[in-house]
Amino acid sequence: MTKRLFNQCLCCLLFLSFNAASKEYLIILKDHLFYPSQIIIPANKKVKLLIENQDKTPEEFDSFDLNREKVLYPNRNSIIYIGPLSKGHYEFFGEFSPNTARGVVIVGDEEAQHANN
Amino acid sequence: MLITSLVMSLNQLLPVAILLVLLQVVKKQSSLQIGSVLVIGALMSFLYMQSASWVSQWFEHQGLEYSQIGLCITIFIAVLFFALKQKSAAFYIAVISTITLYLSHYIIYLTSFWQNNDAGQSLFIGTLLGSGICLSFSVLLYFLMNAIKHRFGMYPLFTLLAFNSAAKLLVALDLASQIDLITNTATVWDLRDALSENSELGRVLRSLIGYEATPDLMSVVIYSTSSVVFLLLCYVITASISKERV
Repeated sequence: MTKRLFNQCLCCLLFLSFNAASKEYLIILKDHLFYPSQIIIPANKKVKLLIENQDKTPEEFDSFDLNREKVLYPNRNSIIYIGPLSKGHYEFFGEFSPNTARGVVIVGDEEAQHANN
Repeated sequence: MLITSLVMSLNQLLPVAILLVLLQVVKKQSSLQIGSVLVIGALMSFLYMQSASWVSQWFEHQGLEYSQIGLCITIFIAVLFFALKQKSAAFYIAVISTITLYLSHYIIYLTSFWQNNDAGQSLFIGTLLGSGICLSFSVLLYFLMNAIKHRFGMYPLFTLLAFNSAAKLLVALDLASQIDLITNTATVWDLRDALSENSELGRVLRSLIGYEATPDLMSVVIYSTSSVVFLLLCYVITASISKERV
């Protein structure tokens, strides 16, 4: 009985993880600027940000709104998951270059990704 | 660059300074112990920083998060153990892990921009100002907490220590959701308009008690539970020690 219950739980977990495949958004950091600097993601869904640092210096992806912080090493890819989020604007910035490296995640209804660069 | 250096140094040095002061008020360590813990911590940060680029590519670009989660949990356990038993080993582990966690970011920043054009002077002045502010804040906090300890006993100190170390678990939780190890739950409240984490007070509260303007349900549950467990253990263990003495 316990074994059957365990197997059922395991199947449920596998099913959930299969269903949880997140949509991926590519962000490029170049000349201390994020491209795109504005990303629109759907509400209440988890998404994956793939960030490519093309600069020669490291940067730290930081967001108080999203509670995220990660060092982006030069010429390396980094992955950050965000969400599920409710509708609104969530700012992020490069902590090493906060005046230039800035962006915003806009959580809305549309699933399309927009770029304003 | 000057302001960035100042903010960076405050962000990364303040959590270390606060923990060091709180542990020092719980049980005073010798100058030699503090000196050695700072030197070992700086060395560990440097080693961690050197290997971070390589570690970051482990487990599908998630190696850094795993290592940082490990450090956060280590800090919580070591601080709890120090509060309960006041062993020097726990003090060493807690402070060295905290320095490694926070200072490595700052070393990455310093080493990356030191040789960049004429940024050296701004970096130096910013770091100096940031260190000065940290030192002033630490001295004030030390005397304040000592006065509170003498007047009200250990429990206010344990409470602050519980919130401070529970905040490390929040960092671990954010890192875990950052790499999809756990899923974020609904945001419980949004205080960004009232007190932003980016503001001066927000940053100090973040370093002191792990203030988050937009925490999710799991963060609130973990923070409350771990703080309560920390305080209960401190209460039970210290009460049993006093009973034994009687």
